Amino acid sequence: MAVLTTDQKMVLDMVRAVSREVLWAMAPEYDRTGQYPWPQLKQLAQLGLLGMTTPEAWGGAGLDSVTWALAMEEIAAADPSVAVILSVTSGLPQYMLNRFGSEAQKKKYLVPLAKGEWIGAFSLTEPHAGSDPASLKLSAQKVPGGWELNGLKSWVTSGGQAQVYVVMARGEAGISSFIVEKDTPGLSFGSPEEKMGLHAAHTCELRFEGVFVPEENLLGQEGRGLAQALAGLDSGRIGIAAQAVGMARAAFEIAKQYADERTQFGQKIREFQGVGFKLAEMHTRIAAARALVLEAAAKKDRGERYTLEASTAKLFASEVAVSVTREAVQVLGGYGYHREYRVERYYRDAKVTEIYEGTSEIQKLVIARELYR
Amino acid sequence: MKFVAVIRQVPDGESRLKIEGGKVDLGGVTMILDQMDEWAVEEVIRLQEKHGGESVVVALGPERFEEAIRTALAMGIDRAIHLVAEGYLDPITQAEALAKVIRAEAPTLVFTGGQQADWDSQALGPALAEALAWPVVSWTTQIELEGETHAKAKHDLDEGAEVVRVALPAVFTSQQGLNEPRYPTLPGIMKAKRKELKKVPVSASSKVEILEQTIQEKSRLNKMIDGKDPVAAAHELVRLLHEEAKVI
Ligand SMILES: Cc1cc2nc3c(=O)[nH]c(=O)nc-3n(C[C@H](O)[C@H](O)[C@H](O)COP(=O)(O)OP(=O)(O)OC[C@H]3O[C@@H](n4cnc5c(N)ncnc54)[C@H](O)[C@@H]3O)c2cc1C
Ligand SMILES: Cc1cc2nc3c(=O)[nH]c(=O)nc-3n(C[C@H](O)[C@H](O)[C@H](O)COP(=O)(O)OP(=O)(O)OC[C@H]3O[C@@H](n4cnc5c(N)ncnc54)[C@H](O)[C@@H]3O)c2cc1C
Repeated sequence: MAVLTTDQKMVLDMVRAVSREVLWAMAPEYDRTGQYPWPQLKQLAQLGLLGMTTPEAWGGAGLDSVTWALAMEEIAAADPSVAVILSVTSGLPQYMLNRFGSEAQKKKYLVPLAKGEWIGAFSLTEPHAGSDPASLKLSAQKVPGGWELNGLKSWVTSGGQAQVYVVMARGEAGISSFIVEKDTPGLSFGSPEEKMGLHAAHTCELRFEGVFVPEENLLGQEGRGLAQALAGLDSGRIGIAAQAVGMARAAFEIAKQYADERTQFGQKIREFQGVGFKLAEMHTRIAAARALVLEAAAKKDRGERYTLEASTAKLFASEVAVSVTREAVQVLGGYGYHREYRVERYYRDAKVTEIYEGTSEIQKLVIARELYR
Repeated sequence: MKFVAVIRQVPDGESRLKIEGGKVDLGGVTMILDQMDEWAVEEVIRLQEKHGGESVVVALGPERFEEAIRTALAMGIDRAIHLVAEGYLDPITQAEALAKVIRAEAPTLVFTGGQQADWDSQALGPALAEALAWPVVSWTTQIELEGETHAKAKHDLDEGAEVVRVALPAVFTSQQGLNEPRYPTLPGIMKAKRKELKKVPVSASSKVEILEQTIQEKSRLNKMIDGKDPVAAAHELVRLLHEEAKVI
């Protein structure tokens, strides 16, 4: 890996310390109760961690994506639910506002998001439109002074908790992005979905019944919503890939330590080749996944097109997360199946990285297309 | 008012140290701001937040110390002076070099760690006070200024604690319980880059020379407690931890 600058190291030292002391300790409790982790987010906000890559002029820290990805890894290693909330709020709404928003929109929405006073959500998926977002139906009808939104959105991370939603809806000019505030009349939220993992990161349905969105809350150009969302996803995928690496690493570290302590047949289980080789492979796959994530982040930092690298990293890292967390459970034997040892949670949490922000199959579609660009 | 923290960079207690050719090899070891110095930094920042004025860190050590200095700046210290000296200097020699700079700064008070984690020595604070001919309060757990001339401080003794009033300027050394240091914030880290860090080369020769270093090897005692009677086993465990290991 590239040598880190003093700044990058200092940021990561701080993130590592908070992750260990604040997030790691409470993660199992949040998983059990399914509470949205506001206290954790508030603490991260105070340290400036909710707007890491947003420019300083807009209330962020103006960090490079490489440091952001490494920080995401640390946070995910401690609490994957907090990590996805963070990845979404900074990787999607903040990224899109910074890139496509007007000065006034940045002032009104980007600054509080970057400062972590608010959490942002991204709402593309609908009940019948997941992998194929171009088929989305939420309607945006032109009315005097703005638009009226009607329809359903589903699977919105931080839904019901976030103060700002970037929503893709269909109007006469095609799909456009709109900024919708939480307490807009006509907008209501379903209860949090009961998920396999990421219990603290609430996901829910959004119902739009005559929701008025003023003219000035159209994000960017009318009709460019899908392209903007896809650009947002390129950036978001680096965050999810980093989240995947973090979960894999955390489970691996638990397994590595356990294998050094547990004895069977009179020796440490790591001394059995069956276990030692497993650990060797886990380590190698994590290192490879991290390298892909940093490659994508570095390309983004250089201002180059990074769609291919982001999808490659997301595809590989999410598969590594699922396989490494499964193997970690295996290394711990019966104890791996016990909640107290944490690895079963990483296993449950990891699976979704192969699904959200584009399933693995969709990443392959993107990669196959990008190869011939 | 002006508050100074004297800080050092030391190996992270969790790192595994190696000996190469009779010397500790720090290659590959994570170096951090000494935790006891971190308390000193935090206290200096709190004093400044409460009373206004300026906060300064002074460090004496090799180039690599800059990382620890930046950490202090990121936590909120205003500016830094780095006395650059490679190689080992004994605490007395260090104190003399530090005293020159600190006297010129003429601070209200100086705070430093109660113990230096790498040498396991408690000499730096008192030696610095001696070199400055200022009073010293070691193992401070609480401090309160009484105007600009005096401070009331609580500090630990071997078998208890004591509250003292001390004339300023004075040197204080930190003890666990003094405060809970803040994390540097991200904006703080970004701002730290733009803060003043003055480098001053130092050519002092150490009065003590390190000839050889070894690492204490402790083999495991492998004590097994018979667990047939869980209550008796728990009692025995407590007794061993209390009387033999002396950790509780
Ligand atoms: C925890 C969680 C959080 C989420 N957060 C958000 C959020 O914040 N905002 C948001 O907008 N969405 C969010 N989503 C939605 C997520 O992005 C979608 O679930 C995802 O895009 C897949 O869509 P789908 O579930 O409708 O599956 P479908 O698209 O119905 O896919 C079902 C299966 O078919 C496969 N498939 C589909 N099309 C093809 C094809 N062309 N070729 C090969 N295989 C194909 C898929 O890969 C998958 O295996 C979240 C989902 C989850 C689970
Ligand atoms: C839900 C559940 C229900 C259970 N129910 C019962 C029950 O009703 N009755 C009962 O008696 N037990 C029960 N068990 C215990 C179960 O049989 C053990 O967990 C299992 O035999 C593994 O033992 P272990 O957990 O001690 O793992 P360990 O034996 O410590 O194994 C840890 C890891 O080391 C590997 N390993 C160990 N030895 C070697 C070797 N020589 N070479 C290569 N790899 C090796 C293992 O494959 C595993 O990956 C249950 C366990 C669970 C989780």
